[in-house]
Amino acid sequence: MTLFLLTGIMILTYAMLVCHRIPALIQNFRLQSLFLFLVTLDFAVRQKEAGVFVVAGLLLLVKVILIPSFLNHLVKKIRVDERLGLFLNPLLSLIAALFLTWGAAVFCAWLVSDSPAVVFAAFVVSITVVLVGFFIMVFRMKALTQIVGLLVMENGIFLLASSIAGGMPFFVEIVIAFDVFVCAIITGIFMYRINKVFTHIEVHRLTDLKG
Amino acid sequence: MKIPLLLLQAGIAVLAAPLVSGFVRRVKNALRMRQGAALVQPYRNIAKYMRKEEVVSETASWIFRWTPSVVLGSTLAALMFVPVFSFSLSAAGMGDVLSLFFLFSLGRFFLALAGLDAGSAFGGMGSSREMFIASFVEPAAVLAVAVVAAHSSSSAAEPLVRSMGMSFSGMIAAASLFMVVLAETSRIPVDNQETHLELTMIHEAMLLEYSGPSLAMLETAAHAKQLIWFSLLGAILWPWPIGSSSGLSAVACAAFFVLKIILCAIVVGLTEIGLAKMRLFRVTDFLGLAFLFSVLALVVSGLGY
Repeated sequence: MTLFLLTGIMILTYAMLVCHRIPALIQNFRLQSLFLFLVTLDFAVRQKEAGVFVVAGLLLLVKVILIPSFLNHLVKKIRVDERLGLFLNPLLSLIAALFLTWGAAVFCAWLVSDSPAVVFAAFVVSITVVLVGFFIMVFRMKALTQIVGLLVMENGIFLLASSIAGGMPFFVEIVIAFDVFVCAIITGIFMYRINKVFTHIEVHRLTDLKG
Repeated sequence: MKIPLLLLQAGIAVLAAPLVSGFVRRVKNALRMRQGAALVQPYRNIAKYMRKEEVVSETASWIFRWTPSVVLGSTLAALMFVPVFSFSLSAAGMGDVLSLFFLFSLGRFFLALAGLDAGSAFGGMGSSREMFIASFVEPAAVLAVAVVAAHSSSSAAEPLVRSMGMSFSGMIAAASLFMVVLAETSRIPVDNQETHLELTMIHEAMLLEYSGPSLAMLETAAHAKQLIWFSLLGAILWPWPIGSSSGLSAVACAAFFVLKIILCAIVVGLTEIGLAKMRLFRVTDFLGLAFLFSVLALVVSGLGY
């Protein structure tokens, strides 16, 4: 079952690279967070710890409901062009991501050799999610997608912590959840301002001189 | 003893295949809060086609007239190769899973020729699109199945799934195969079964010139092909034993098979509801993703997981 959910996260992570429009990317992030919530719930049920349930609930609230809704609201409000500003087309991005996953898989096979498939899969998927989040931040040219990239990276780190290390301490998790939420809101407001001043949110054009 | 049972199994599967299409439609209509057609509507359609007169274009050659038989025949032969109710009942001695793809290609080749043969503009367009999509689908499907086969070190359908169990590479291969199934059964992100809009249809465009019993044969073949893909997907996703080796009775095997097909149908229906049809040139991204998952499965399988 866990393997099934992990494969789902992997698929959604790759699907993010095929997205052409911002709302599709946000929807994809919402689904990925939902799968992450299910993985955490599965973990909580097996561990039977109240703290993990609270962390899972917090994940559902913040990353599945609040942040994507806020981002969607932001997209509507700044009325920006919906296209992502792709630096690499989807197929090339996918091939690049394949190499990232390959590297992650070789690394993990070396690190956790002879462990069960679930541990290996969790390791590979979480490292892939982190790397793909990084990839989105670098190769997608809208400031909004960089927030999504950051959030995806955070999802990967959360998965890594909860599946490998048995979760971070309870208070750390809560603080991180609020941190991420506040971070998303602040960067969102920041972007609203950027859009007002520059009339676009394309990162590579921010250094242009304004007359 | 084995051959009559094999034929019986194939016969039951062909008769039940339109039910799967009807069920997927029921799922979609239930989700849309619509009443929808009855579960047996595909049977009614086929019965209606059988009663109708057949019209053949004057310019059409023998290819046009023979194609329905070739397509239905190759699909029925393919049905023998997949583990439907029980692994011990698949024609494993006669060929492996790759021969399944060859049989599909045979049917597709003739169907594409027949689309061109009648000389209508839409038929040719449908053929060219079908071939365009097939050139993306086939590598992904073959590679996905090859990975699963490599994992069990055999390409025959019988040990293919029995010795596998759930593995990470198998799951990724199943994801790839699922996208292939959507494309091959002309489902929504690639094609749309529910509309006959000339500019977007792919599979239906090739069948546009057919009528009467020929159309009934081609539709039956399409339903059977869908059942084959669903059972292959089900066998890889949930590789729990069916067949004599597990000591289950034939009834239990059949019940388990039906359960798997129902699950596949529900998932396919949900996917269709959730997605919009893609522009034809975006389909390369979709099927490129499928191929990439196959390669990914190969990588993971190479590491032994």
